[in-house]
Amino acid sequence: MSETLVNPLDERVPPAGAPPARLDSLGGARIAMLDISKPGGSLFLDRLDTLLRERFGVSEVLRFRKPTFAKPAPEAVLADIRKMQPQAVIEALAD
Amino acid sequence: MLPEGDIAPEIDGARPAGPALLAFFKTDCPACHLALRYLDGVARHFDGSASVVAVSQDGCSQTEELVRSLGLAMPVRHDTGLAASGAYALEAVPALFLLDGSGRVAASSQGFAKADLNRFSARLGELSGSPPAAPIPSGDGAPDFQPGCVSRHLEPPSEGAVAPAVELYARKGFRASRVAVPDGVEPEEFCYQQGYADPLPVIPPTVPRVERMLAASGLPPDEVVARVPPNYGPATVEKIAANAVMAGCLPEYMRVLVPAVRALCDERLDIHGVQGTTHFAAPLAVINGPVRLEMGFACGSNVFSNAARANSTIGRALQLVLRNLGGAAPGRIDMSTMGNPGRFSYVIGENEEASAWGPLSEDFGLRRGANAVTFFCCEPPRPVSEHKARTAQVLLRAVCPVLANLWSRRICGRQEALVVIGPEHAATLARSGFGKRDVASFLFENTGIPLREYDGDGGEGTQEVGSYEECTIRGERCYRKFREPGSIRVMVAGGPAGKFSAVLGSWQTGPRGSQMVCLPFD
Repeated sequence: MSETLVNPLDERVPPAGAPPARLDSLGGARIAMLDISKPGGSLFLDRLDTLLRERFGVSEVLRFRKPTFAKPAPEAVLADIRKMQPQAVIEALAD
Repeated sequence: MLPEGDIAPEIDGARPAGPALLAFFKTDCPACHLALRYLDGVARHFDGSASVVAVSQDGCSQTEELVRSLGLAMPVRHDTGLAASGAYALEAVPALFLLDGSGRVAASSQGFAKADLNRFSARLGELSGSPPAAPIPSGDGAPDFQPGCVSRHLEPPSEGAVAPAVELYARKGFRASRVAVPDGVEPEEFCYQQGYADPLPVIPPTVPRVERMLAASGLPPDEVVARVPPNYGPATVEKIAANAVMAGCLPEYMRVLVPAVRALCDERLDIHGVQGTTHFAAPLAVINGPVRLEMGFACGSNVFSNAARANSTIGRALQLVLRNLGGAAPGRIDMSTMGNPGRFSYVIGENEEASAWGPLSEDFGLRRGANAVTFFCCEPPRPVSEHKARTAQVLLRAVCPVLANLWSRRICGRQEALVVIGPEHAATLARSGFGKRDVASFLFENTGIPLREYDGDGGEGTQEVGSYEECTIRGERCYRKFREPGSIRVMVAGGPAGKFSAVLGSWQTGPRGSQMVCLPFD
């Protein structure tokens, strides 16, 4: 008889979530950007903000910021983003 | 599991006739659902020439609901009172038993494996004189293998017929599933193949070994000790025990390991961030109190090395818990650029016997003599060598330049440090009448970066000088490296010979980063 082991892993099955539909076009869209507050991140996002408006016709870029990159975004920040009902959110990672 | 050759016991008052394939299942087991879908096809194939029977461990209403939702046509029987589950010596479900024409067990397996189903289907064809069913293909969208769940009759009693789902704040979790090592595979190699381990060999977490750990802990196996970031997987006592076995722990180490897991997952430590950082940081555990000597923790020579089983295996178990329950495996969540040897194991005992001061845990308000574990997320140790100093001042001036270089030399005011004083250095400091606060104050006052180093090259730390505090150190204008004396913690560890100490630099600190966490235990 083979040996029986006690499973040492996390056995939860994560709930499956369907990804949201892709936007057909960025033209006229309202886009949210979450700055995770790494040094220099705002410089990059400023440039992306400009490109989204000028090159892709984004109507509005909403800017949000995590208090620290070292921890998950607080629920209040996520609620603020939801309240503005953007068509898409860009979470800018770092490094 | 009932051994081959035994007569199959009765199920709900009737002895199953062979040849047959029995499949025990429970309604909330995902691996059972997978197996039942395929078994229903096998049952349709044999259609009377051999029986394929599912045996439910749950009540009629739950079973009927599952049969309906899966669209099963195969016969389903009930293991009333779970008597048959005990008689068949089940450990996990799905559990398959192939019975020959005389009703004896010809083969068995547990968990879902396409290879097992194909093998049993072929044997059933041979036994019944029927052609075998078409093999279940690999790559059809379902996994080839999925571990099952613990058999219902081995679960602790719960209020409902079905165990409750794990909730974020639930104090009870699910029992770990049992996984059968395939025949012909070395259990150690199986652990490696299944991704249970770091790259070093492990002790396979067999049921008897894990049960010895559980017995030593004196805790219920399904008690949730913590939820391990970043995936927040529930660290039940049983899961901790399984990882402790793999790491090579002795059962009595559960006394330290359980509170250590709790402290490690304290939100103040922010292990969530540490596990995902590109920085060098790893959680260091410092052990204080009589437990150090009782369990043989290394506090002296080679304190940071591979000197004692308690340090090495408890530290490794903590890392396995982070990896296996928190999900932070290297290359996936753990993306540290350089890594840290402490991610194998990073546990030290304080050499309280060589210290004239109170232990580190006393700095966190615990009484002297209490057992405690303190976590500090930090870089690998940086060495300090000073063999000539006769006074505290001269000695500590050798520590200052090491402190000055923490994180990045010209970044100031954001770091914390743990200064681990070697016993010979501790004796020098004590002879000078320095207490721990005196040491921290001296290091705070005398560690800075000269203003002349901020020469406009745009390097790291040069943009934030507006927030730095200026001071004068030995006649030179500097920026203070630390915010306050309390940013520097001091403890004693290491061997009796050699005038060495060590400096450990923090990761991000304070409420927006990682804060040290100290937890007492019995």
